[in-house]
Amino acid sequence: MSVIVIEHLARVEGHGGITVELEGDAVTNVRFDVFEGSRLLEPLVRGKRYDEVPPILSRICAICSAAHTLTSLKATEAAFGIRVSPQTELLRELLFRGESIESHALHLFLLAIPDYLNYPGAVALAADKPAAVLLGLRLKKLGNRIQETIGGRAVHPVNALVGGFGKVPALDQLIELRSGLLQAAADADAAIDLMASLPAADFCHSETVYAALRSPHLDSYYLGDEVMVVTDGNRAIVPASDYASLTNEKAVPHSHAKHSSFRGSPFMVGSLARLTVNPRRLTGKLAVAMKRLKLSLPADNPMDNNKAQALELINDVERALEIIEQLLRDGIKDERPMPVQPRAGTGTAITEAPRGLLIHSYQYDADGCVVAADVITPTALNAASMELHFRRGVEQCAEREEAVITKRLQMIARAYDPCISCSVHLVRR
Amino acid sequence: MKPPLVIGLGNTLMGDDGAGCRAAERLARDPRLPSGIEVICGGTDLLRYADEIENRSRVILIDAIESEAEPGSMSLIEDGPEERREHAHHLSAVQQAELLRVMTGTPIRLFGISVASATLGTELSPAVADRLPAILDRILEEL
Repeated sequence: MSVIVIEHLARVEGHGGITVELEGDAVTNVRFDVFEGSRLLEPLVRGKRYDEVPPILSRICAICSAAHTLTSLKATEAAFGIRVSPQTELLRELLFRGESIESHALHLFLLAIPDYLNYPGAVALAADKPAAVLLGLRLKKLGNRIQETIGGRAVHPVNALVGGFGKVPALDQLIELRSGLLQAAADADAAIDLMASLPAADFCHSETVYAALRSPHLDSYYLGDEVMVVTDGNRAIVPASDYASLTNEKAVPHSHAKHSSFRGSPFMVGSLARLTVNPRRLTGKLAVAMKRLKLSLPADNPMDNNKAQALELINDVERALEIIEQLLRDGIKDERPMPVQPRAGTGTAITEAPRGLLIHSYQYDADGCVVAADVITPTALNAASMELHFRRGVEQCAEREEAVITKRLQMIARAYDPCISCSVHLVRR
Repeated sequence: MKPPLVIGLGNTLMGDDGAGCRAAERLARDPRLPSGIEVICGGTDLLRYADEIENRSRVILIDAIESEAEPGSMSLIEDGPEERREHAHHLSAVQQAELLRVMTGTPIRLFGISVASATLGTELSPAVADRLPAILDRILEEL
């Protein structure tokens, strides 16, 4: 038997990354280990008052801190029966879009594209093709700016509160963002050009189940309380309050992340899932871009998640512009957050973080202190699906050279854009 | 050209992982800090500060490092970029620093504080906390 181990996906002692066991040419076992920081953070919020929770849980991830903050707020508001204003909903959606732009730009340009072009990493790509990296950093910067303007600061937003925002953006700030977004539209188009020019990554095919937020509007990352699961053309709906019947989590001996499956099948969350579940927006410019990227839905190749992220860059920029136009048209109101009256009960929120479905669920006592908390991250939801695709990737690899298999597995892992090492990031020797 | 900048990196919810951040917090309040020097207590994403790093005479980064060295000791990390294959998802601080050197041309020196324990908790381990004064002395010397 031969074993291939890629150790550095997880960054906590004793936990490997991907392990593949081969018996001759046959794949006998594939394991994917995940260190799931959020689960370990849950005890930190137990007993805390509702307004202390978001700042703690926003630190689960440096890249997705806005998503964790807003999902936390949405869960608390659900528990207390608070309905926020339409303006707050728009500003929260805008914050989500800023984070998505930042996250996708970082992932595509600094992590995924070097693989396709056979560079060892972003530094080598920057030395050789600085324009590509600059393009990514420009988009990332715009995403940061949106988050700073709406969230109060780029990392771990402090301005988003239960019931609304501490301070709403000024008119001139929105106008400045609009001008940045108008420029970014060209950058998002250039991202499509770059993605379309990459060699095909055609080495893993498998029928895939997709799950994403079902939003009442075209494609909200924030609004909506139902998940839609698409399996081979069939669609099922799961309400947020019943998220356990979506995830059906099971502990697996080799991973800190429990594995999720819906009706016995692992499922994929993230950009590709969002486009599959909410294809209504894929018209006009997006339809043209999709054609250029040779993407058809539902896809059977997890590498297509990179293409979906590039499409979402266009969509996020467009949607952010629409929101700002609406805010400018309606006039930005200097609203205070809604009054908060804590009550005992449970609140669950599901949103679309850049990497996919994010679930926060809290049980509060009558004083508004946390009795129990559950946070399920997109990477945890994807763990079982990733493992399945790793297996397919190895099975479909005609070569048995370790270097070839390793590179393919890493490319599949990166296409999922997993967020494994957010809680502990230290440099390891 | 903007004045020198010090950025402390880390996750302060994960014990010694936040050592760089904690050091930066202390440095910002230290009366010995030369005037004009700016200090940021950053999170775990150095690239967020690309704009801040641009057009600086120099930048000093302080981060946590897991190594054989005594916990709380600090050393200059002079390695070139790590091979990215070691990481599935993100760029390490070493790689981010190298990328920012290439993109901005700003001289960047990365110091690593050896950790004792990077597990859940908002406090530094006693071994690292005890060495903070010496860490600050070293950074001030560098400035």
